[in-house]
Amino acid sequence: MTKEEIIKEINNIFIDVLDDEDIAISEATTSDDVDDWDSLNHIHLVVAIEKHFKLRFTSQEIQSWNNVGEMILNMKEKGI
Amino acid sequence: MFKVGDEFNSKFKISKDIYDGFVNIFNDKNPMHVDLDFAKNHGYSGIVMHGNILNGFISHFIGEQLPVKNIIILSQNIKFNNPVYLNDLLQFNASVFEIYESVNVINFKFKFINQKNITAAKGKVQIKKLD
Repeated sequence: MTKEEIIKEINNIFIDVLDDEDIAISEATTSDDVDDWDSLNHIHLVVAIEKHFKLRFTSQEIQSWNNVGEMILNMKEKGI
Repeated sequence: MFKVGDEFNSKFKISKDIYDGFVNIFNDKNPMHVDLDFAKNHGYSGIVMHGNILNGFISHFIGEQLPVKNIIILSQNIKFNNPVYLNDLLQFNASVFEIYESVNVINFKFKFINQKNITAAKGKVQIKKLD
């Protein structure tokens, strides 16, 4: 998948999990940029992304991300 | 600590104390739950227990019956398949079907089966193990 395709699918996951149709994420997006992206919703988002893309992250990987783009790079490394 | 396929079994009885406690604390006195004639007129054999009493049993399962205490419930859903009546004895079964180690999340499927071997309710509950 291209980065753009991944972002589009992740965006749909954010919309579903956070119940906000107006969300439009980019590679530069961080939790500070999205309403309701709090610590518990972060967990819901990770679970939803792992389930949707049929992959697993490690806790170290999650803690290393500074923005959505770094998560996508991590996903690309896993063959997405 | 948990692995996919782990199973937990227990029994819960809808006792008069539990029923009275629920009615008094949450003040849901819908006639389906407190008026025998009303419930019978709508096709039930007795007053129908509040479905959310079963959610209380889920709380007990998560809070008291799992081998770890540093956990919180992240989400829960339940489908009520058949009515539950006062003094019903429910066999409860829960099993781990998904684990997300990156965020310490464990997903359980559960079901309640009554003494007539009829499924009363089933659903899923998701917990997080805290550091």
